[in-house]
Amino acid sequence: MTLAIILVISAALALVFILGVTVSRSLQISEGTGLAARIQPIDVEAFRNLIDPAEDEYLRRRLPASEFRLVRRQRLLAMADYVKTAGKNATVLVRMGQSALAAGDVHTAEAAHRLVDNALLLRRNSALALLRIYVALAWPNSGLAAAPILRGYEQLNGSAMLLGRLQNPAAPVRISATL
Amino acid sequence: MLQAHSILWHYLWIAPNILLLVLALLLWRSHFRQRYPIFLAFAIVEGIEQLVVYAADIIPSVAPGTWWLIFWVGLGIEGILKFALIGEIFAHLFNPYPSLAKPGKFLIRGCGIVLVLAAAVAAAYAPKDSFFGIVSGAHLLEQTIYLVESGLLVFIFAFSGYFRLKPTRAAFGIALGLGISACVHLATWAVLANGGLPTSRRGIFDFVNMATYHVCVVIWFYYLLVSPKVSRKNTIPPKGPSAGPPIGPTPEEDLEVWNRELERLVHP
Repeated sequence: MTLAIILVISAALALVFILGVTVSRSLQISEGTGLAARIQPIDVEAFRNLIDPAEDEYLRRRLPASEFRLVRRQRLLAMADYVKTAGKNATVLVRMGQSALAAGDVHTAEAAHRLVDNALLLRRNSALALLRIYVALAWPNSGLAAAPILRGYEQLNGSAMLLGRLQNPAAPVRISATL
Repeated sequence: MLQAHSILWHYLWIAPNILLLVLALLLWRSHFRQRYPIFLAFAIVEGIEQLVVYAADIIPSVAPGTWWLIFWVGLGIEGILKFALIGEIFAHLFNPYPSLAKPGKFLIRGCGIVLVLAAAVAAAYAPKDSFFGIVSGAHLLEQTIYLVESGLLVFIFAFSGYFRLKPTRAAFGIALGLGISACVHLATWAVLANGGLPTSRRGIFDFVNMATYHVCVVIWFYYLLVSPKVSRKNTIPPKGPSAGPPIGPTPEEDLEVWNRELERLVHP
């Protein structure tokens, strides 16, 4: 009977989850415009500075070990904030791209499809990068965090390119703050 | 009213299956046949299979052993088709996007393995709920199929939800109907296979299953045949002279700077 109870509870939770997704989907459909305004531009220069290995190496040489670990953790937390923002931007780009997929124009639909694909890749990479940043927080001396962030941000390139093709040249969607 | 062979019982067993066959007939004529061939096969096979099992149930000359044999064969075919259908839903959702298709396949396979193991453990620990192996085995097979099926569908909903990926109306409708059906059936078969309920109290679960299935067929009708309300809202700004004066850098400038920065990031 215990097994039956466990399975019934699991089934009920699964049902609630599926119905919840259905409700949120219908809300998402009625949400409509204003997606572009939700993109939070990222300061590329500041982020580049944060992930620069030379900066880390400089700090490692100049600071006592305990102080370096403290500074490194703060830098990692700042990195995490940037990556979280990139991930959120990616979800907005996914939704913008999906809205444009139904466009009658073939070129726009193709560009929208590629934008969605690249934004999904960014979302995926930002999740992985975030995971590795949190792992690196436990080992501030390791160089774990930088590589996946670079990989994640590589994808912004493609997303931005496709977004550029999609959007009106007169009103570009900004995904970086220092441009 | 809630007794086997009551009018409601006959209705709930026949009506959804006839509706499903009608749905298959209506979809056969459209482009849907090319896009969702497995759902179409599922609708036809499931409808016919259930009607055959129903006929075998009401024909007095069919022996109980024969009925259970028919039930087993139908269950096997139904199980295979349902997993193929889940594969079709997954393909429609994620295959257009290579960045998700590969990790998605890897994750869903891993999820499938875990679910099969969990279902095997659940089946191994389940008490024998019937004197006849063919009956308790069928109950356990139902529980196993629905456990794996509902788990895979929850994974698909969660994975697409995390990435804010909006499935097509048809794919979503199929997944929703299948998901609701799998969850409710899992709960009822779990009770039937493990609960040790007396036969007199089992009938109510048949009604719950049949009513849920009916609801799911109606959901499929709604999502596959009713056109959505067309929204003219567009998040992409209008093109052309009416778009207004330029604001900020052009996308080309934007991209050049991004390219430059990313080159520096990748090759410091």
